[in-house]
Amino acid sequence: MSVARKALEMTRAATEAIVQRAETRYEAHRQEIFRSADRMFAGLMIGQWIFAIGIALVFSPYAWQGKVKTVHMHVWVALVLGAVITSLPVALAWLRPGEPLTRHSIAVGQMLWSALLIHLTGGRIETHFHVFGSLALLAFYRDWPVLVTGTVVVATEHLLRGILWPESVYGIPNPEWWRFLEHAFWVVFCISFLILSCRRSQTDMRVMAERGAELEALSENQWRNSSVVERAAADTRGDR
Amino acid sequence: MERAPASDRSRFASTLAWIAAAAWLVAVAGGLAILWKYASTPAAAGVPAPEQWPAASAVARAQDRATLLLFAHPRCACTRASVAELARLMARFHDRVDARVLFWTPAGTPRDWNATDLWTSAGRIPGVTVLRDEAGREASRFAVATSGGVVLYDPRGRLLFRGGITAARGHEGDSFGQERIASLLTTGAADRADAPVFGCALEDEPPSRMARAGTLTTDRGGDR
Repeated sequence: MSVARKALEMTRAATEAIVQRAETRYEAHRQEIFRSADRMFAGLMIGQWIFAIGIALVFSPYAWQGKVKTVHMHVWVALVLGAVITSLPVALAWLRPGEPLTRHSIAVGQMLWSALLIHLTGGRIETHFHVFGSLALLAFYRDWPVLVTGTVVVATEHLLRGILWPESVYGIPNPEWWRFLEHAFWVVFCISFLILSCRRSQTDMRVMAERGAELEALSENQWRNSSVVERAAADTRGDR
Repeated sequence: MERAPASDRSRFASTLAWIAAAAWLVAVAGGLAILWKYASTPAAAGVPAPEQWPAASAVARAQDRATLLLFAHPRCACTRASVAELARLMARFHDRVDARVLFWTPAGTPRDWNATDLWTSAGRIPGVTVLRDEAGREASRFAVATSGGVVLYDPRGRLLFRGGITAARGHEGDSFGQERIASLLTTGAADRADAPVFGCALEDEPPSRMARAGTLTTDRGGDR
């Protein structure tokens, strides 16, 4: 084998090693972000549950039939449905952090929390901001399919409710079939930019991983090329 | 006992997670459906409101504009949305309608029965007079059995509209009741003269048993 060929193969092997190392670093970084976001959302879900129970207890504790009061449906909904919505995302964040199913369940759960909070606050327009806030929080994953899942949940909820109980969404009994698209449009508008941001973040993360891998390889190469005496001296000095 | 290989256990755990996710989706969808049904189910239509302003009514009717009466249970959480929607209506039509909110005050209740945020909110709406409806007598006269129920009469005392002004139980936002009132006040006509009412029941007994004459106490937010 010629020296040139051998050098070429060594360079190719070194490049592959760097690419492999970059991929490992990139995946490790992504996992770190996924796990950290999972933990954040687990806390947020529990916080939202407590908040919803508080809202129900303060604003609609009782339903009345004349002078007779009973516990309002909202209290039960906040307690039970809130617990159900919270359960799976929190369980998965705890048991299977960093997995795709976990973050997509969290996306579904978070958008369902928007729907529930909007309902518990009597459809107040201000609570609708929760939808957009939640989408922004889901962008913490830097994983755009999660945003798509969130959007699909919002659109489906609107579509189904628009078909079954149109007046509760649009205020009129016979809205045009495309009315849900008008609502979904603003969500799509929001996530379009969030998706761009996620993709850019992923590119940046990949560049960072590649640079890190190159630096690591260079450093290792330098160490290998140094003489035994130099390495021993460096060890004695505690350089490494 | 031989332990299953790690990959098998991992696959089993993954399958279990997917099954749990599917069951979770079904449970959540079921819960939301129950909630939507509850929110979208109006009160029974009941007895029609009188076509003419009841002569026995102690409520003053405006002579130069329409009069709108909103009957409210002072402690009904759902009625908060009706009061909010009334505020929106009054912001648009304060020069075309006189509005009164009548708070159902059953006999034998303490003086602070009406001391609620609903009373305060209603009293703050410009152009709205807040009244105590002692023993629900006016509600009976106008055949309103549900909190959030509205009746609208023209200056000559003819019924223009009866129904609710929210789209769902305790839900703020546009509603066809509100749209019909707006249409009646601006064009004098609407596709329908009624709308479903969402709210708490105003009495423990059927309205027919409560149809009896009585008095009315007027208030503009100070005395409850």
